[in-house]
Amino acid sequence: MHYFDCNVFFGLPSRRPPTPVATLQALLAAMDRAGVDRALVWHIAQHDLAPQTGNALLTQAIAPHSRLFGCWAVLPNQAHEFPEPPVLFRQMQRTRTVALRVFPDSHRYLLNRVSIGELLEAMVARRMPLFLSVKRGISWRGVYDVLAEFPELTCVICDHGCWGEDRMFRPLLERYPNVYVDTAQYLLDGGIEALVADYGARRILFGSGFPESYFGGMMMALKHARIPDEAKAAIAYGNLTRLIDGIVGEVGAIEAGLSATEGGEA
Amino acid sequence: MTEVPGMLRDSALAREFWEHGKSETCPIYDMHGHMGVYHSIFFPRAEAADMIRTMDDAGVRLLLFSHHAALHAPNLANQPSIDAVRRFPDRLRAYCTVNPNYPERLAEDLETFDELVPDVYVGFKFLSDYHKVALSDARYRPAWEVANERELLVLAHTWGGSPYDGEEIVRVVAERYPKVKLLLGHSCHGAWDAAVQLARDFPNIYLELTAVFDDRGVIEAFVEGAGSDRMLFGTDLPWFDPHHAVGVLMDAEITDEDRHNICHCNAERLLAPIVPDLVHAPHGLG
Repeated sequence: MHYFDCNVFFGLPSRRPPTPVATLQALLAAMDRAGVDRALVWHIAQHDLAPQTGNALLTQAIAPHSRLFGCWAVLPNQAHEFPEPPVLFRQMQRTRTVALRVFPDSHRYLLNRVSIGELLEAMVARRMPLFLSVKRGISWRGVYDVLAEFPELTCVICDHGCWGEDRMFRPLLERYPNVYVDTAQYLLDGGIEALVADYGARRILFGSGFPESYFGGMMMALKHARIPDEAKAAIAYGNLTRLIDGIVGEVGAIEAGLSATEGGEA
Repeated sequence: MTEVPGMLRDSALAREFWEHGKSETCPIYDMHGHMGVYHSIFFPRAEAADMIRTMDDAGVRLLLFSHHAALHAPNLANQPSIDAVRRFPDRLRAYCTVNPNYPERLAEDLETFDELVPDVYVGFKFLSDYHKVALSDARYRPAWEVANERELLVLAHTWGGSPYDGEEIVRVVAERYPKVKLLLGHSCHGAWDAAVQLARDFPNIYLELTAVFDDRGVIEAFVEGAGSDRMLFGTDLPWFDPHHAVGVLMDAEITDEDRHNICHCNAERLLAPIVPDLVHAPHGLG
């Protein structure tokens, strides 16, 4: 089974964790050790310092590594801190950046139509995934609010917590067709099986939460979940491949022997 | 990836767990479980029969648990735990749960306690952070004294910085009750250095790993600082998938000897004087 991790960062956090992963080389070594084929990556400086600086660090680091895809962080652009959406998307296309993250609570703005509506509309039009980490930078209420305003938004809710947050994310899965959840911190015994039974495998993405969590934990949980092999493959690899395919034209060309079909489509 | 990943290449045990989900040579003793529904979380597998199936899948031979009703519904208290153990005596043992807000219930439990060791109970469970009574409070004393006299297990929920069961309170009770086999549930979560120091200072303290598995680097730090002979497998089942915990142990940069210690050797050593028949039974797993 191939693994395409949707939720990985590197870089030194401002507050030192037990085992920081300072460099991209260290991340790649850890991926190889665990057997993770690909990753959608962000840099902790996007959150701890500023999106502009963190995005630049990320882009520079991943450029030579076709198995890595970038996830930039963004801000509202009323103060001209970020380019207009068309310019932003062109920059993303040139740098293998296929998704965006926001940290509205940490970065002190509101994730709504008034503040950042133009960008979110453009993301809806392009089906570009927006990653929202409940652990870092947005509350459940914030997630609910933005989806109420942008019900077609492609949104990946990640790091939703080890306390089995089904009562928080299941209503969103039922109401909004383009909402997905990742597996980082979803430690609930039988949780993956129950989700697949109720919503199918296509709404779940493999995410480890590395380096704060181990790769091996959710890899093992997924490998031995009581769901069909096709569902495992979709969660492990196929769903994320499908989500980002077409965001950057050259993604297909970058594929190195692994296709979405091999990874499994639910 | 076409090559065998390093975490599998370097460990025969990891390869066995990865392929089969469990190991014939490395049974697991889950030292921290619960059971039944609970208000703030959806459990797909909350009842004993479903939990046993999970245990079978992951090679968990024995689960020590406290029913959620025993923790949070004094009207029901320990009876649901007792009933579950009697239904699955080869796979379950319970902690007699103490809610110190109801000392009269503890007195009742202690009247029958000796009759229920070891067929039902292996010790006591304290949940001080939730009951808002410090581990050192006099209302716990009758249970501490029984456990100390009989050298039984006490699984105490511990959380870094807590005024009820944080590292400073743990130090007080560890000094007071040196013969208790004191399992620090969650290992003073977040106060990792303090947990290591407690294990170094008190030979009767063990670091129980529920909710620790999701904090990368702590397993290795505990092995280095406290030693794998002081660490115990736990999942809060039905909260956390034991396969996740096993995957973490595979990924963590520790030895197979450490993995054996954490999964079963330490538990067998602790439990052998209390439930020798269960510990010494053949390792065949369902």
